[in-house]
Amino acid sequence: MAQRLSRRKIAAYYAEQLLAGNKNIAGELAAYLVDSRRIRELELIVRDVEAALMTRGVLLADITSSRTLTADAAKEIKSYLKAETKADTIHLRETVDADLLGGVRIAVPGSELDATLRHRLTQLKASKI
Amino acid sequence: MNILTQFASTEPAQADIFTTLGIDWKTLILQIVAFVILVWLLGKFVYPWLMKQVDERQAAIEESVKAAEAAEQKAESAQEEVAKLLKEARKEARDIVATAKDEAAAAVEASESKAKSRADKIVADAHEQIEKDVIAARKALHNDTIDLVALATEKVLGKTVNEKLDSKVITAAVKEAN
Repeated sequence: MAQRLSRRKIAAYYAEQLLAGNKNIAGELAAYLVDSRRIRELELIVRDVEAALMTRGVLLADITSSRTLTADAAKEIKSYLKAETKADTIHLRETVDADLLGGVRIAVPGSELDATLRHRLTQLKASKI
Repeated sequence: MNILTQFASTEPAQADIFTTLGIDWKTLILQIVAFVILVWLLGKFVYPWLMKQVDERQAAIEESVKAAEAAEQKAESAQEEVAKLLKEARKEARDIVATAKDEAAAAVEASESKAKSRADKIVADAHEQIEKDVIAARKALHNDTIDLVALATEKVLGKTVNEKLDSKVITAAVKEAN
């Protein structure tokens, strides 16, 4: 019986293979998870992979805004993330949510910046006494 | 007895002045003797008893007088005692009335004080309640205002925020986070 690997080791291996250009790593991981019946951990493993990539200078940030980001806004966000995380490569994974009204929510492994107008309104409502 | 018989049977000897006057010596002597005997008997038996009775009566009377005087003195004493008791009773009554007045005044004062403190408490409670109501009203107004502002802002932002403004907002937020 194969030894059960920890999520951290799997994530580290996956990140290394991704950075090395192994394009079959996704299929290998999927096969491993199915074989080891750990499909339920996929979401957690993806997060761990993102964290492992971050430690290796590759940052994958989830950007949620009410509209598609303009080039200036994306540039500003990348500049901000670079300064904050010291990452060499930054990838933005954009999501549009009209309910946010405006502003942006930036989520990186381990932290989140919510600068949306919806969040401001929520904070305003939360200030009720 | 013989003498008596002798005197009774004796006939007048001679007529002298006493006879003339109708005085019989023998009868006279006999009467004198009888009188003396009577006096002696009276003095021996009757007078002492009579005097004794008189003395006893006098003593009783004196006793009665003394008793009356004592009773009178006692009555005077009792009267004085009654007067004294009346005086004390009046004084006590005055004291009781004064005490009652003082107690009534104290009770009135206590009642007034209690009523005043109660009124003060009612006023203070009313003020406190009003203050609480004002605070609650302010809170409600504050919250309603926040809800209204949030709703209005949401409505306005939904219509007014365009791509350019949104980009500015994002840029400002990121710069602010830096």
